[in-house]
Amino acid sequence: MNKMRSVVNKLHERIDYLIEKCPNMTAAPYNYNYIFKYIIIGDMGVGKSCLLHQFTEKKFMANCPHTIGVEFGTRIIEVDDKKIKLQIWDTAGQERFRAVTRSYYRGAAGALMVYDITRRSTYNHLSSWLTDTRNLTNPSTVIFLIGNKSDLESTREVTYEEAKEFADENGLMFLEASAMTGQNVEEAFLETARKIYQNIQEGRLDLNASESGVQHRPSQPSRTSLTNEASPNRDQCSC
Amino acid sequence: MTSAQDKSQDADQDRIQRRVNKILETRLESDKDTLDALNGLSSFFGENTLKNRRNLRSQIEHRSVGINENFLKAFREVKLSLDAVCDDLDTMATSVQTMKTDLETSKALTKDLIEQTNTMQQERERLEVHQQIAQAFLARFQLSVPEHQLLYGTAKDAPIVPEFFKVLDRVQSIHAECRLLMQCGYQTAALDIMEEMTLHQEGALERLYRWTQNHCRNLENNEIGPLVVEAMSRLQDRPVLFKYVIDEYAIARRAVLVRLFIEALTEGGPGGNPRPIELHAHDPKRYIGDMFAWLHQSIPNEKENLAMLFKKCDKHDISEQMQKALCYIVDGVCHPLKVRVETILSSEKDTIILFTISNLLRFYQQIMKQVVLGGSLEQCLIDLQKSSEQIYLNALASQVRSVLQRPAGSTLALEPPQRDLVPPASVARLLNMLKEILSVATMVDGRQADITKIVSCVIDPLLQSVQESAAHLPTIDMGVYLLNCLYHMQSTLAVYEYMDERVERLQAQSDAQLDTLTSEQASSLVANLNLGPIYTILQSNQTKIETNLLKIFMSKMDAFLELPDVLLLPQIQLIMSSSHRATVQRRAFNVIVAIYKQIYDRVHDPANGFQPDQMLQKTPEQVSHILLSP
Repeated sequence: MNKMRSVVNKLHERIDYLIEKCPNMTAAPYNYNYIFKYIIIGDMGVGKSCLLHQFTEKKFMANCPHTIGVEFGTRIIEVDDKKIKLQIWDTAGQERFRAVTRSYYRGAAGALMVYDITRRSTYNHLSSWLTDTRNLTNPSTVIFLIGNKSDLESTREVTYEEAKEFADENGLMFLEASAMTGQNVEEAFLETARKIYQNIQEGRLDLNASESGVQHRPSQPSRTSLTNEASPNRDQCSC
Repeated sequence: MTSAQDKSQDADQDRIQRRVNKILETRLESDKDTLDALNGLSSFFGENTLKNRRNLRSQIEHRSVGINENFLKAFREVKLSLDAVCDDLDTMATSVQTMKTDLETSKALTKDLIEQTNTMQQERERLEVHQQIAQAFLARFQLSVPEHQLLYGTAKDAPIVPEFFKVLDRVQSIHAECRLLMQCGYQTAALDIMEEMTLHQEGALERLYRWTQNHCRNLENNEIGPLVVEAMSRLQDRPVLFKYVIDEYAIARRAVLVRLFIEALTEGGPGGNPRPIELHAHDPKRYIGDMFAWLHQSIPNEKENLAMLFKKCDKHDISEQMQKALCYIVDGVCHPLKVRVETILSSEKDTIILFTISNLLRFYQQIMKQVVLGGSLEQCLIDLQKSSEQIYLNALASQVRSVLQRPAGSTLALEPPQRDLVPPASVARLLNMLKEILSVATMVDGRQADITKIVSCVIDPLLQSVQESAAHLPTIDMGVYLLNCLYHMQSTLAVYEYMDERVERLQAQSDAQLDTLTSEQASSLVANLNLGPIYTILQSNQTKIETNLLKIFMSKMDAFLELPDVLLLPQIQLIMSSSHRATVQRRAFNVIVAIYKQIYDRVHDPANGFQPDQMLQKTPEQVSHILLSP
């Protein structure tokens, strides 16, 4: 009889251990609350892909090859304690890809428009990029102007003040950044996200609409929504 | 004696005195008994008569007797009662004695019973302990009623709750612990429990499967909850159920993706912003580009959702299943996509646009291959790309045909060459068209095959036509005309990539014409310089050359050296390329220089007996210098 008791006790311990180990079932499967879609545009060689690489990998990519068509990067950031997944579409600056890249503006929540402070021609083309952006995106799309290569002060051709004035005139957010040193890169991406988030808070962005460039993922889905509310939501699909 | 008398007298006196004193001293008012007696006496008489006074004593005694008699009577009753009590007690004693005996007897009799009871009591205690153990055992090795309900649901189609998984874990842990039980020697119980738990597990997984499948079927808003993720991790050990759930999920998402695609095509975003893709149907490049970009951008989301679905499925390699599911989801858009692209391809006539579309299709075919490998989307893109290629090549061929077709005739022919022998306008038109196509931005690597095809499509019929139209011309005119046409083509193509082979072939054809023209020019020079007979002599082994002949040659040669261009064929001037012109001239002059050298050597050979000083004053080097220096 004692033998049996000891067996039972042993089992007790093991079961308690197993129950403790059992994963917490209420944790949300998504590790973010929102997805924001970004597009990066600008002339060839201004450093669009390098900015993206610096932002996603925190590294400078020397000898970056020309982008073929469009490339894609993601990173999860935090705004207001909300986890936001940035889905970034990096476009080719080469003219031959324009036909392709123009199709990617559709439904972007943020557009990062990049020029090279050491090449005036890339700055001069901004107005054409801006026209494209305005024509091809929503009115609520946040446009952020980035003057890249701010580390190359000695060969600068576009002053900060001039670009700032251009940005202010056109209602753009603006920063000079360096994909090489990483200076202001985070800030540009994060500021854009903050602005988008603010637009959501102020109701300027319809989350339920498809192609708004933002998708919402409730972090704690209610149990009922799994079974009962799934069908009524049919026409509010957020993807 | 007196004294004694006295003494007795005294004693009597004293006694009396003492009594009197005592009486005197008696305080009658305070002596209650006396007072009561007196009270009694006072009521004893009716009146104070002598008779009454004489009878007092007897009356009192009489009364006393009466009272005693009453006493006696009373005591007799008491005595009788006591006797009865005594009797009763005796009877009781007897009874008690009997009972005692009886008790003794039964005591002797119940001893066994008590012993038996004690044993049973011990047995009961023992059994209680057993029961506790059994209960503990059951609590560990069996599911409780609430657990059972959680596992199987209280109603049909009851939703899965998080606790379900805890119970399922418990079922599994019970199953696992049965091994321990078996090691302890309880094989039968362990096997029974194991079997029961297996049944529970199968039942629960079956229910979980139905729920998950149903949930995936209604997965409209792309919301994969933690329960589904957990469910998938539980189902991964049941490959068939797991596959069915994924199939169901893929079917649901496929339908959603098609719907969203159609919405993006026809409705656009909220409030028509972004605008519906079909609004740009008049601009085929943009229309098709937008469709593919939409598709390309929707794939990462589907991929991510699938990854979410399989987040906790870590036991097996599911990348293949994931890839298959993704293919299936994406395949749904093939039909609407194909129909639209084919419509555009069949209605578009502009070769350049068709070529651009074909390029776009090739670009997306390569892009999509990187994200969804296999499946019918890939095949669809390959088919579309092939058919677009065929269509633009056909369009190009018919355009080339229409340019080459003479307005009147039905045969392929160019306008006849003019006297200036320049390539006809049609050649320039076709080459411009080709230039335009080649400069269309191509986005894909490995387009060499494309370009080669396009160039063949234009150049081959063009060359044929040029040759046909040149056929009627005299040799030199034909040579110059062909050379000019070839030169035009060559110089157009040379700036583009992948043209090496084609340019080489054109070069070979040019070289042939150059050879012809060189030999014509050389022959003409030989004739004009009267070298014919001299050359014949030189070829034969005759040593003698007539001086006369040499003299005529010399005078003509001097004139020729003065103005070499005079003797050039007029058509040579019509060669467009200055380098071609120079080549023909140089090579023809080389022939003359070579012949001159032979004559010079022959004349200066002393064996031949010429007087060289009078003839051929210029050395071959000098001649060569005059003719060939630029």
